[in-house]
Amino acid sequence: MSTVTRDCSELTSSCINPVLSATKSVFEAMLGCTPIRKGIALKDSSRPRYEISAVIGITGRANGTIAVSLKASTAMEVLYRLVGIQADEMNAEVCDAVGELTNIIVGNAKAKMEELQLSISIPNIITSSGHNVHYPSKVHPICIEFDSEIGPFTIEVGFAPEQS
Amino acid sequence: MKVLIVDDSGTMRTIQRRCLNMLGINEVAEAEDGVQALDLFERANFDIILSDWNMPNMDGLTLLKEIRQRDANIPVIMITTEAERARVVTAIQAGVSDYLIKPFTPDVLKEKMERWVTIPS
Repeated sequence: MSTVTRDCSELTSSCINPVLSATKSVFEAMLGCTPIRKGIALKDSSRPRYEISAVIGITGRANGTIAVSLKASTAMEVLYRLVGIQADEMNAEVCDAVGELTNIIVGNAKAKMEELQLSISIPNIITSSGHNVHYPSKVHPICIEFDSEIGPFTIEVGFAPEQS
Repeated sequence: MKVLIVDDSGTMRTIQRRCLNMLGINEVAEAEDGVQALDLFERANFDIILSDWNMPNMDGLTLLKEIRQRDANIPVIMITTEAERARVVTAIQAGVSDYLIKPFTPDVLKEKMERWVTIPS
C-alpha cells in the first residue's frame, strides 16, 4: 500500500468514526434496532449500493462525501418504524423519513466532527437506481456494509486531505 | 391544551404529534416553517410551541424572536439536532424556554413540557 493510500485510509477512518457511532445510537433510539457491521470493501464505482441515498458533504481538515445508502425495503421500514405508515413504493414520505433519520445522525456526529476540525452538511436525499455520488478526484471510496432487523444499508465514504 | 408543532419534516411532525397524543394532548396544529407558524400563532391561542431550528423560509431562531416580540410568556421549546453549546446559548439569549435534542423519547418531551404547562391526566 502506498503512503498516500495509507494516509487516506487513516483519514477516512478518523473522519467516519463519529458518523458510525451516531448511526448506531440513532438506529437504536429511533428504530429500535442495532445495525451490525457485515464487511468493508473498496469501491470501484461512485454508484451507491442501494436505491436511496442520503448524501452528506464534509469540509475542513479533509474534504469528501458520505453516502448512507438504503435498500428500498429498508427505507420503507424506516418510515414504518418512525411513524407507523406502511409504504409499498418509494415516495415523498419515505424520502422525508430517511432525510430526518440521517439529519439526526448528522446532528449527533457534528460535535465530534468539529473536534476533528471538520464541518458536516445537512443530508440531501437522492433516489432511483443507478444514481451517482461525487467523491474527490483520485479517491477510491470505501463501502461499509450493515445489516439490521429492518434490512441492509451501507455507509460509503471518500475523503481527501485538505489542499494546502 | 393546544400545541403548535413547527418542523419542515412531516416525519418529525408526525412523531411529535403521536407523542402528544400519547400524553393525552389532541389539540395539535402543525406548521412546516416559521412563516406558517407565525401565521397560525397570530390567528389562534396556543399554550406551548415546539419548534425545530433549521427550516426553510424562516428558521426556528427567527421564529422565536418574532414570537417574543409578540408574546414574552408563551413557552417555546426548541427541538433540534443542533446540540452545540454556542447554539444553545444563542437560543437562550433569544428567549427559548427549553431545549430538546433529537432523538428524544416521549418521557423526555413530557418532562420538558411539564416545566411550563400542566399536561392533562
